[in-house]
Amino acid sequence: MKPETVVIKPMPSRFKHKVPKYKVTRSDACINCGMCAKSCPYGVHERIEGHNKMRPPIDYKCIGYECRKNDEFYCVYKCPRKALSLSLNPMYETLGDCRWTSDMIIATWIMAETGYPPERTDIGYQTGNSDGGFDKLRLKFPVNPLKVERDEISTELRLNRRNDGRSNVVISTPMYGGGMSFGSVSLSTMLSKARNATIWNTFTCTGEGGYPEMLYPYDDHVITQVATGLFGVREETIQRVRIVEFKYAQGAKPGLGGHLLGEKNTESVARMREAVKGTSLFSPFPFHSVYSIEDHKKHIDWIKQMNPKALVSVKVSTPNDVDMVAVGSYYAGAHIIHIDGGYGGTGAAPDIAKKNIAMPIEYAIPKVHNFLKEEGARDAVTLIASGGIRTAHDLVKAICLGADGAVVGTAEMVALECVRCGNCESGRGCARGIASTDSELADLFDDEWATQRIVNLYHAWNYQLVEILQKFGMKSVSELVGRTDLLEHVDYS
Amino acid sequence: MPKKYHIDIKATPLNRDFVSKFKIARGENCINCGKCTKVCIYEAHKRGAKDPRKIDDPHMALCKNCFRCIQECPRGALVKSLDPDFLALGGSYWKPDMLLSIWKQAEDGKVPVSGAGYRGPFTGPGFDGMWTDMSEIVRPTRDGIHGREYISTAVDLGRKLNHLNFADTGSLASNIHQTVDLPIPIIFDIPACKLSNNIMTSFVISAVAAGTFAIMPANDISADIKQYINNIIPLVSPDKITAHQSLISGARLVAIEYATALLNDFGSVKDSIKKISQAVTIVRIPAMTGIEDAVTKLARSGAEVIHIVADYRGMEAPGLRQRFLKDVVRAVHLRLIEERIRDEITIIVSGGIAMAEHVPKAIICGADLIAVDIPLLVALGALLYEQPEMTITLPDWLEKLPAATVVQRIVNLMGAWHSQLLEVMGAMGIREVRRLRGETGRAIFFDEIDKDTFGKLFQQRETASI
Repeated sequence: MKPETVVIKPMPSRFKHKVPKYKVTRSDACINCGMCAKSCPYGVHERIEGHNKMRPPIDYKCIGYECRKNDEFYCVYKCPRKALSLSLNPMYETLGDCRWTSDMIIATWIMAETGYPPERTDIGYQTGNSDGGFDKLRLKFPVNPLKVERDEISTELRLNRRNDGRSNVVISTPMYGGGMSFGSVSLSTMLSKARNATIWNTFTCTGEGGYPEMLYPYDDHVITQVATGLFGVREETIQRVRIVEFKYAQGAKPGLGGHLLGEKNTESVARMREAVKGTSLFSPFPFHSVYSIEDHKKHIDWIKQMNPKALVSVKVSTPNDVDMVAVGSYYAGAHIIHIDGGYGGTGAAPDIAKKNIAMPIEYAIPKVHNFLKEEGARDAVTLIASGGIRTAHDLVKAICLGADGAVVGTAEMVALECVRCGNCESGRGCARGIASTDSELADLFDDEWATQRIVNLYHAWNYQLVEILQKFGMKSVSELVGRTDLLEHVDYS
Repeated sequence: MPKKYHIDIKATPLNRDFVSKFKIARGENCINCGKCTKVCIYEAHKRGAKDPRKIDDPHMALCKNCFRCIQECPRGALVKSLDPDFLALGGSYWKPDMLLSIWKQAEDGKVPVSGAGYRGPFTGPGFDGMWTDMSEIVRPTRDGIHGREYISTAVDLGRKLNHLNFADTGSLASNIHQTVDLPIPIIFDIPACKLSNNIMTSFVISAVAAGTFAIMPANDISADIKQYINNIIPLVSPDKITAHQSLISGARLVAIEYATALLNDFGSVKDSIKKISQAVTIVRIPAMTGIEDAVTKLARSGAEVIHIVADYRGMEAPGLRQRFLKDVVRAVHLRLIEERIRDEITIIVSGGIAMAEHVPKAIICGADLIAVDIPLLVALGALLYEQPEMTITLPDWLEKLPAATVVQRIVNLMGAWHSQLLEVMGAMGIREVRRLRGETGRAIFFDEIDKDTFGKLFQQRETASI
């Protein structure tokens, strides 16, 4: 259930128009009688007081073909001159792609706006069209599930399973925000992610780029990242937080490291990263102090020594031997194994890496889950999956495959009205002000708007998660872990 | 320290519209308020140069699909759609997006980068049915981006000995064969459509600049192209060897067209070339049913390099079953391993090589190097259509381009592909492309992993539906 701090408030789009799915065409036969304006309850048709002519139809307000059943007001039938027609809007095809379909983006926007899944039934957002992985998995609900009330259901996730005396961190919903560094996203974006994490009693991650001061009020809900460049890592930042994450690799560019261009290394970025302004900053691959699992243990011990309460998370990508890496990390003392699938990643990365390097998360989760089980270590670590978790349904499928919870990145950005145009790094940065530090673009929204949008999205996902658990007759999300018997696959029976 | 291989890329934008993915129509209800010109950060919307009271038609090559103008136009007067010209381009194999990406790489020579995650299908036919591996922890000899210069992409073409023999005195008794070294596992194949002598010349000069070779039918090699013979592989039919004696004498590599007779008589053909020059011979053979047998036989009779050519979509010649290049190469490679002669010969593959990722993938499947054709033309603005039949159209302005621009654009494409090859190898922790050959353990094949994961959880279904 949601923590008491969560309050749902409608938070509409910051733009004048939404992206329309349908196109309403008014032909020359229209006599401007105004019948459509009078009957349409959605406000598609408008005639300004005192004007003779109708305004052009406002396409995005139209609910489409399902309106046909509304005999009393469906404009196409209602128009006395048959001057109105309805079609799919060609604009809709220019939004989204087969992984994040236009329906999925629109549905995420609705969730961020209202806090609930869309009521419209014409938006198929539960799967994408990628023709594989989550998009080919379906949930298999029992016919007569155990009767469970919504408020009996717990969506809590315990992150420390080692009984080692360290913080017993429990999050209220089994997901948290992915690492996005200072400089890669705007301050409002970063701050709103942290505020949402606090409101939802979960986490956000700093990424590799230092720990900005403005995050201090949210310390208890921030994961600080130690990545290969060690940028902005100080004893003090390690001691601030409840979780420290080692990032070995990331799904967007497994095995490639990072590169911050000189011109993006502004004065504030340089100060945060303890580097010289204007120089290109390389975050190399791999950790140059880790050439074996023993070296890895040494690093984890070092963090544990510095912060006796902190949990340690290890973020790795998904190579063939990801199961070995996970078990190795467990033996080295990690509390959380975070596997980031090859199709994942929100930040800018080479297309060749995003498409090709490392396996999709759908294969990696059962591989790691089963290997940890065989080693007898599964109950002592928390397995977090990321890299292509787009909806609450993906989250549930990931848990059924063996994860305990998930990290989301792109979905949070879409909640802030990212259209996934992909130009995060070009020129002045994000045209929509989400992933830009450009002074003008970064002011396109304030963090109050952004925080509420993300809070709403988390609520909509949590709402669906509870609904799904209810359909399975389960009282807690932990009952779902590894239940592959509740899944079916389109290609298999 | 040996000289490091480096491809000099240089931004060479043509400031021409190749194809645009999107189209924006301005409706009659536009009031020319100029909001679109203010919100577009890419300057796709501008006021008219002649008449600033009107907004110009949007410059679609600059549009990056951010939806700002669409969502902020006070009148909702802008309508965006996919450009039908874009959708008509390419076909089932050569996706319009691929062609656009090749064009962009030719413009700046850089690795294509984008954000917000992967956006393509989960898997697909051909090379899309495999992923490459990476290592979380690698040997201390890797040094991130700085270490890339030390990753070798060099390959050598020619026959190699299975083992060395030594005389009783301890001196080497084996005769080491001649090989040709290439700094990059890519050569230029015969241009996929007819080019003028000028463009052909630029083509060869770009091969020189990239340190590689261009294959050319011997008859097409004009006197002024001949001066670059050091980087040209003349293609001759077995019965025309003497006729092209003067070309062959200057060449380092010579390609021979395949004929069935060659299977029984390769030795004499090779001898007739060796009489003229020291050139290493390549047998150019179409991918077809039974190619494994043909390659084995040729290898046994002394072939040095074999070039397997699939069609432009990477398919072998129609037969009992038509395999994709990836499966053809895997079959040939495995057969040669079974025969214990894989290391003795060099395998080149071509056909359907459309993206940088196809280079490491073909090599992982067992090729030593690849030959590229269509992308080199797309770099110069060629448009490819698969339907109703395969057509390549060259832009009419191509002839007017300065030769240096043509050369630089091809060099840029190779520079971008080379960098991407390094990315893939770097992620794996493989420092020599020669060691990538046939390393299927460093790849993840869809068929195998899907069965291994979901096949264990569920039963295989006859038809794909729930």
